[in-house]
Amino acid sequence: MESLQEALGLLIIGMITVFIVLWLVTVIGNSVIRLSNRFLPETKTKDTPRTGGVDKGKMAAIVAAVDVATGGKGVIDSIEKR
Amino acid sequence: MHEIISGLLEMTGFSIVGWETILMWMIAFILLYLGTFKEYEPLLLVPIGFGVLLANLPGAGLGIVANELVMNPDGTYMTLIDIANNYGILNFLYYALIKTGFLPPIIFMGVGALTDFGPMLRNLRLAFFGGAAQIGIFSVLLGAVLVGFTLPEAASLGIIGGADGPTAIYTTIKLAPHLLGPIAIAAYSYMALVPVIIPFVAKLLVTKDEFKIHMRKMDREYPPKHEIKHMRVVKIAFPIVLGLVVAVLVPSSAPLLGMLLFGNLIKEIGPNTARLADAASGPIMNTATIFLGLTVGATMTGEVFLNLQTIGIIVGGFLAFCLSVAGGILGVKLFNKFTKKKINPLVGATGLSAVPMASRVANELALKYDKSNHILQYCMSSNVSGVIGSAVAAGVLISFLG
Repeated sequence: MESLQEALGLLIIGMITVFIVLWLVTVIGNSVIRLSNRFLPETKTKDTPRTGGVDKGKMAAIVAAVDVATGGKGVIDSIEKR
Repeated sequence: MHEIISGLLEMTGFSIVGWETILMWMIAFILLYLGTFKEYEPLLLVPIGFGVLLANLPGAGLGIVANELVMNPDGTYMTLIDIANNYGILNFLYYALIKTGFLPPIIFMGVGALTDFGPMLRNLRLAFFGGAAQIGIFSVLLGAVLVGFTLPEAASLGIIGGADGPTAIYTTIKLAPHLLGPIAIAAYSYMALVPVIIPFVAKLLVTKDEFKIHMRKMDREYPPKHEIKHMRVVKIAFPIVLGLVVAVLVPSSAPLLGMLLFGNLIKEIGPNTARLADAASGPIMNTATIFLGLTVGATMTGEVFLNLQTIGIIVGGFLAFCLSVAGGILGVKLFNKFTKKKINPLVGATGLSAVPMASRVANELALKYDKSNHILQYCMSSNVSGVIGSAVAAGVLISFLG
């Protein structure tokens, strides 16, 4: 009987703790999003590169490859067909 | 001649092969078959299955021995060298890596390095359903006490409902290490059965109209309040702040959550720590998985595994899984009663962890009812929060019962 009471207590405390932590997850997430939106400068949208007639699928693959190779720092200026 | 043959038999292990040994071999073969040919969690079931086989090789002495045997008369543990000398390499690995609770957090670090918090950050309110799904853990704990398990054993059984292998193993090591084998097997087997369990429970509780709730249409009708302008910064700050707050609130969940969030941080920082993230999610996690699987399997000797408690764990584990899925679904249904922006109940079904399989299964189920209803990114939100929820639940159980 004592174990049963303790198990019931664990059910209540456990579920409350889980919900409190997940509530904190949402609060922390929202706070970080708001603070970063408010205090960090807007990032410039990269100029659309001159694609030289490369189709969208190939363009996406090139952008992804450059992004991976340069760790997100590289910018495609232009693409020329030879 | 007769003496020579009997001497030969005594030299081999045949003389001590009993029905228990043969039954354990069959269990090992079933686990190896499921892992190898049915692809049920092969990365875990194959090492566990082979560990079971090793533990039950007659005369080899590779099974994990009881705690009392590695204790000195004064109550202290033998040194690892003594354990290796007396009981072999698997006991050395078990007492060094498992008994200390070392491997599950290491695996969690790798899981963190493979986890993307992006979908959760974009849909933060869905994180609550990862909490509703933890009801399976605590309700099975209650039920297990009713049928005669002790509280620490019942808690270890209930944690199977968290659908998170490392969490289940970590909790069991801390609370009921003698049940480690059957609980690990039940946890990973049911995780492999998520594609069966989620549709089974969902079809019992969700109506046709609810299956068709279109998440993207809802987003268009009721757009989110904030857009995320600096996702990279948010993804880096989030694990640091969350880790700090949760560790203060539930310190016993810190080993698991701390390592999960650290793994995630080194992934999100990008190229500067990419080597660490690659190591955490690759070689380190793979090595940890091999040792975890083999040693957990080696705990399952005939005398430990073949008893009524094992049957209780198999039945209780299934109930815990079903109740966790049901808890998430019912949580969404309740939420939908009070809000205009409806949520597809399948999003709640994924709150039980088992990342990312649960999300994939829920997405496929939603697509069966509406081919344009892609709910994967929404499911990932409650799915990832379920990992946090089950680690917190484990922390609570360890704090009170450990």
